Amino acid sequence: TAGNKILHFGACRVSMSMTEIRAGFTAIKANIQARDPIRTLSILSYPHSLHKVNSSDRCCITHHLFNFYVDKVFKHCKTEDSYVNRKISSIANSFLSIKRKLGQCHEKNQCMCGQESTEKFKQILANYEGLNVTSAAMKSLGELDILLDWME
Amino acid sequence: LGILFFFVFFLAPQNISILSTNMKHILTWSPVIIQGETVRYSVEFQGEYERFFFFFFWIPISECSLIFFSFFFITEDISATVFFFLFFLADLGARRSDFFFFFFFFNRNTTSLTSPIFFFFFFGYHLLVELEDMGPAFQFRVLYWKKGQERRVSVTLGFWVIREVSSVVHLFFFVFFFEYCVKAQSYVEAINRSSSFSQTQCCL
Repeated sequence: TAGNKILHFGACRVSMSMTEIRAGFTAIKANIQARDPIRTLSILSYPHSLHKVNSSDRCCITHHLFNFYVDKVFKHCKTEDSYVNRKISSIANSFLSIKRKLGQCHEKNQCMCGQESTEKFKQILANYEGLNVTSAAMKSLGELDILLDWME
Repeated sequence: LGILFFFVFFLAPQNISILSTNMKHILTWSPVIIQGETVRYSVEFQGEYERFFFFFFWIPISECSLIFFSFFFITEDISATVFFFLFFLADLGARRSDFFFFFFFFNRNTTSLTSPIFFFFFFGYHLLVELEDMGPAFQFRVLYWKKGQERRVSVTLGFWVIREVSSVVHLFFFVFFFEYCVKAQSYVEAINRSSSFSQTQCCL
């Protein structure tokens, strides 16, 4: 649909304002990526891309990733630029709203975690913890389009 | 502290409200008028994320800093379906009161939705409808039937129109000499709410 994206994970159905999130990220992408000096590493793509996830594991990986961004990323991305902070706030609050919906699916056992999703998310956390907090958070935020592309 | 409190209360903006229609939100208030003095306001906001995950971080709105006028389009900042909290800072002449005045919260799922303006017309054997552009968050539901057969309006006849390509939508091939009627409603998936149906329009 024009503005919204419906994430279908079996019985779990989550509406997501993809247009608003992408517009917010596109507006600050260059600014955020310029703050990430380490170009040789990736949080989301190393060693395997997200695109190699079984469909049965997609809901759990998505749930993990939204928790990851809400709990570990956005709060370490405060900048001196009020405009950038406003856009990060817009994305963060959208992620919080979606995280809650995914949490409801998880509580209804509609978002089960398999071995693969658990392993893949451990790898993402390891990549994140391999850097200092601010660098890891800025890099993760700069890779948001990788997550959005994978979800679309 | 009493004097300070009086100073704070004295400058508090009045009648703060957010006028929200069709997912567009305008913050308005009545400024305090003081003879011979200038009162300017600044607004900062936080969403539930900042409140619960980001150490109560308040975000200034640069376009809404030290302003005289008393309204502000806040749509872009309130772009998630969570609660947002706003507060005002006041400057009287050169003095800044660092206390927050008024605590106001808002969630966009309370926005009021209007039914879409539309025109429908015949083009050859086609019945077409042109819909108002209400923004990317909107979808529409269009119902149509032969006049006099209102009870035969079935959901299958209606469909959610996704306004991506053009504002003109082809409904179906019509049969001559019948009068057809159409009505429409708008729907916002992000908040899972729809407007009431528009007035019915009929045409031969």
